[in-house]
Amino acid sequence: MEHNEILSSTKQDSPEVIPSLIKFIASNEVAGFDSMEDICSLNNQYQMNGFQPVSLSSEETEAAAILSQNHVSRPIKSHLASAISISMPSSPLEVHLQNTKRVLFSDHGETMFSNGILDSSAACKTASTELPRQAKFHSQPMPTGSTYPEAIVGDKFPNQSESQARNPRIERLKDKRFDSFKTWSGKLERQLSNLRGKPQESELENNTTQNSEMEILPVDRYFDALEGPELDTLKASEELVLPEDKKWPFLLRYPISSFGICLGMSSQAIMWKTLATSPSMNFLHVSSNVNFSLWCISAALIAIVSFIYLLKVIFYFEAVRREYYHPIRVNFFFAPWIAFLFLALGVPPSVAEHLPPALWYILMTPVFCFELKIYGQWMSGGQRRLSKVANPSNHLSIVGNFVGALLGASMGLKEGPIFFFAIGLAHYIVLFVTLYQRLPTNATLPKELHPVFFLFVAAPSVASMAWTKIQGSFDYGSRIAYFIALFLYFSLAVRVNFFRGFRFSLAWWAYTFPMTGAAIATIRYSNEVTNIVTRSLSVTLSAIAILTVTALLITTILHAFVLQDLFPNDIAIAISERRRKTSKKWYHLRTGSSDTKEIENFLKFGSSDNKDIEASLKPPSCKPEEV
Amino acid sequence: MASTQSEIEIVVDASPVAAQEHRRLFIIVAKRSISSVLTRFHAGYFRISLSLGGQTLLWKTLIDPSHGSNPPWRLLQTLPPLCFILLWSLALFTNVLLSLLYISRCFFRFRMVEAEFLHHVGVNYFFAPWISWFLLLQSAPFVAPNTVSYLVLWWVFAVPVVTLDVKIYGQWFTKGKQFLTLVANPTSQLSVIGNLVGSRAAAQMGWKESAVCLFSLGMVHYLVLFVTLYQRLPGGDRLPATLRPVFSLFVAAPSMASLAWESIAGRFDTASKMLLFLSLFLFASLLCRPTLFKKSMRRFSIAWWAYSFPVTILALAATDYAEEVKTGIARGLMLLLTALSVLIFMSLTLLTAFNSRMLLPDDDPIVCLSVH
Repeated sequence: MEHNEILSSTKQDSPEVIPSLIKFIASNEVAGFDSMEDICSLNNQYQMNGFQPVSLSSEETEAAAILSQNHVSRPIKSHLASAISISMPSSPLEVHLQNTKRVLFSDHGETMFSNGILDSSAACKTASTELPRQAKFHSQPMPTGSTYPEAIVGDKFPNQSESQARNPRIERLKDKRFDSFKTWSGKLERQLSNLRGKPQESELENNTTQNSEMEILPVDRYFDALEGPELDTLKASEELVLPEDKKWPFLLRYPISSFGICLGMSSQAIMWKTLATSPSMNFLHVSSNVNFSLWCISAALIAIVSFIYLLKVIFYFEAVRREYYHPIRVNFFFAPWIAFLFLALGVPPSVAEHLPPALWYILMTPVFCFELKIYGQWMSGGQRRLSKVANPSNHLSIVGNFVGALLGASMGLKEGPIFFFAIGLAHYIVLFVTLYQRLPTNATLPKELHPVFFLFVAAPSVASMAWTKIQGSFDYGSRIAYFIALFLYFSLAVRVNFFRGFRFSLAWWAYTFPMTGAAIATIRYSNEVTNIVTRSLSVTLSAIAILTVTALLITTILHAFVLQDLFPNDIAIAISERRRKTSKKWYHLRTGSSDTKEIENFLKFGSSDNKDIEASLKPPSCKPEEV
Repeated sequence: MASTQSEIEIVVDASPVAAQEHRRLFIIVAKRSISSVLTRFHAGYFRISLSLGGQTLLWKTLIDPSHGSNPPWRLLQTLPPLCFILLWSLALFTNVLLSLLYISRCFFRFRMVEAEFLHHVGVNYFFAPWISWFLLLQSAPFVAPNTVSYLVLWWVFAVPVVTLDVKIYGQWFTKGKQFLTLVANPTSQLSVIGNLVGSRAAAQMGWKESAVCLFSLGMVHYLVLFVTLYQRLPGGDRLPATLRPVFSLFVAAPSMASLAWESIAGRFDTASKMLLFLSLFLFASLLCRPTLFKKSMRRFSIAWWAYSFPVTILALAATDYAEEVKTGIARGLMLLLTALSVLIFMSLTLLTAFNSRMLLPDDDPIVCLSVH
């Protein structure tokens, strides 16, 4: 009932708040404008159909339930009385100038009763702290009754043949707004539900699905629309193609960076195995049971995470595709394979003494294919050139090579490990130089220190271990790589104060495996050079790794069960293909649309070829000079 | 009488004056054609001699009696050595012809040579003649590496390479306008290949120090170039679409380095293997991106010859690798690459023979860009 209170309170407040610039017309003052009679009749209509609103959160379901029980008059009346109709296009400046109350007010009205409108306003919670999105253009408020029949004709909602007793979760699945992200625009799901014997849905939806043809987003769109070290925060001027205020289906919220947990846990398993089996660490008397239990946990985790992501691939392939085109998330596509490789590396002796070499070939094939694609893009792809997209997460694509080399050499293979080591080394040099340069054209490098920087430590430490296994002993090559890793670790560790103020995300787990990797490399080094310094260093680094993983585990559990925001809406995959038309109109008023278009196109396609291989947008025919 | 008067008498004037005029006309026509040839000829045509040199080197390695352990090659060794000598003579002839043409171009069209030198793509092809001569030297059937003539010839070819090195590499990091981020393009790897070929020739002579010197020169600049080319900084993408085949030079440089290191180290050790694998990966990467070459394959041009040399060198390196490792996969790889290289070479020869008219086009990118 809080909604009604807020509505009534804001209704009282609204006269003072609203400036005279904008003319507010209460809807019930205008004749024929959402009149009560129509509302009542429409409500009755939808009552008869037993139609229920779809994909509402719990509060909204409550409110809708109230409505559906024919207590129409009071909420609707207050809503109508307080409904506003803004008669001019909203502009960013003006919304900013207005206070948040207006957003709150219109928000509640709109979100509660106009689910069908895609461009509903921002979530109320964040309205007080910031105005992430502007108020949209509201032509007229849509009370509940009128929305759904229109929307059926429009293209938004499922038909009326659904029975009343329907699980809200399945309702969410049937929400057509997410169809564009589903595999084959939801057709697969319909097929599956047909197979399961559910009633056939009407042909109406097939004709009226909205533009489910999602084009490939060029990488510039990601840079324009997103910001932040992991490119997952939406810029203020952007909009999403999915509703921002709803909790999206779980699978849509499940990012590929969840595989980071697998990386973190399985590397811990390897570390405990190394601790248990290293001769220089015998003084710790670590039992191999720890390795065994951790390995089992990691195996279970990998199975679960892979299964969920497989479901996402099956049901929401479009979302997976968008993640693939995200310049940072694409590197996480290596994470599953690296996790499998870690599992194979950390396998307890009690489970398997020797692994078959065929397993190595099977695991390395996807890594090889991904590499061909991504390194090829660096070399000759149109827009995804390294000077633009280089970011520390690219280390994930390099580390895969070294981990594969390590595993292969442990299995006794000879040529394959050298192959992957060579490729990894060559591209690591390129990436390392590029990242150190921090080129001005680089759009993805985080300005502040972020845990992603710990990935710098991963490649040299794993490379040193791989080289040791290939050569048979911890020779000079391994030592050089190891000392580089150590230096990078220390230079990040002394700056730990600057790693503050970032929002926790599951990807942070991926940044723990470099610390574990450094610890393992140190243990191996201490095997070679056994003295008090190396031993204490091993113990220290292992302790830090264990502490970090524990802290991360606690934070994860906290976010999962207490704060319940472990999987927030994955904004990064839902950016739209072009900027909002209203903002373009606004630019038009200021600068003239043709100039803006020219400048935009120039910036987008300035230095690329006419026939851009990687982008789907065609550059304009006029070729500008080099940037 | 009227009929006889209306007869037209054709008198063939066989006087010496007319003959002289004919000769003059002929000379004028010949001069014009040679002149046009000289105008349109540029160092990029040495790609042909590069490919020929690479092929002869490959065949020399294949029919080498020390490779007797490989069964397929015993078949080849039954071929009379005459075939190889023919091939080598053809390569020599082509090289001499092209060199003479280029020398005359230097005399008569010096301005154009200068413009070519200042062009960011054209300048790298100044290494191409010396690389071809080095390849010919290494594959010569009658000049053994431990003879004086080999030594003298090595010096004759190495000095220009080092001079060019000093000029071009020095430009990269000192000169105002021509610094690396602007001029780097895949053909810049030709300078690296030049050093590496010289290094291999030196190592075969037994001159280890010069070999290592040239090798390190080549490799350090290769490192810088590799990173720069991969970064693809904006403003550096000035390679015309018709010159896209030169991307295959990415494959040539590591393979050549692998061969050079093998000559220095004595055997195909881990470093050579790693360089070979890098080259194989880049080859696979380019194979998976056929759209890159689509535009350049529309019309035949001399740039198509850029495909042959890198694949040949890769096949050479794979041959040495198979010799070292002796596994089935390595042998299969060697066979595959050799077959591919021969196939490419033959097709290019046939295409050139059929499209000889298009061999000297008006709108060749290097000529046009260097003139303006």
